[in-house]
Amino acid sequence: MQASGPPQNGEYMVAAYVVVAVVILGYSLLLWIRARRVS
Amino acid sequence: MTKALRIIRRGGVLTVLGLLGLVAVYILALVYTPTEVRQGLAQKIFYVHAPAAWAALMAFSLVGIVSGLYLWLRDERLDRFAASSAEVGLVFSVIMLTTGPIWGKPVWGTWWTWDARLTLTLFLFFLFVGYLALRAALEDPGERGRFAAVVGLLGLVLVPFVHLSVYLFRTLHPQPVLVKPSAPSMPPEMLRTLLISFGVFTLLYLGFVMVRYGLQLATDEAAREAHDAG
Repeated sequence: MQASGPPQNGEYMVAAYVVVAVVILGYSLLLWIRARRVS
Repeated sequence: MTKALRIIRRGGVLTVLGLLGLVAVYILALVYTPTEVRQGLAQKIFYVHAPAAWAALMAFSLVGIVSGLYLWLRDERLDRFAASSAEVGLVFSVIMLTTGPIWGKPVWGTWWTWDARLTLTLFLFFLFVGYLALRAALEDPGERGRFAAVVGLLGLVLVPFVHLSVYLFRTLHPQPVLVKPSAPSMPPEMLRTLLISFGVFTLLYLGFVMVRYGLQLATDEAAREAHDAG
């Protein structure tokens, strides 16, 4: 009998978390660069 | 220090706190929350997808409300806030529209389907891309504020349809687990992590909007000084 468990799809979670980090850090960096120009 | 710089600095502090909070959310999601049996680790995408959707819809709702107020009061601070909130809302929309398909592929077996929730969300995204394009195309501040406010109000009309689309139409998208008439339906570890993530994304929204507002204020002040000097 085959043992059943959660599906092995951790790579999708990693991809999503990387996308979130890139977008949030990217926009933070963009604002920081724009703020440095005005200060 | 000018008012614009003070706002930028305060927004920067909130943003840094939000970034630290995001690290905490990642740790909680990976270590503290259990792995869902049917969806596996892909279910943990939910801890960033749903709060990003919340932040985007909150941002666009506020654009609509503030745009209505701008058409009434003609206060340039309202227009400045609407522009800031729209740009930040688009950032969270990008997260919502990318993490959704990344979750959909392993769970639904497809990256995208043209069902009501997904399609309406994409329409909302394009509407606010148009909003920012319109703002960039118009030079006269009064005209820009008025025209953009009308588009912002149209976005506000679309937001309830996005949220209620899972009830109004046959859709693959899961129904809300938090903002719904009955009690939240998930284990306490998942619920706590999700609520913390909602707080973190709200904090990031506030930080981003404050910095973006401060930048716009500084630009407007510089333009006014140049106009007065000329």
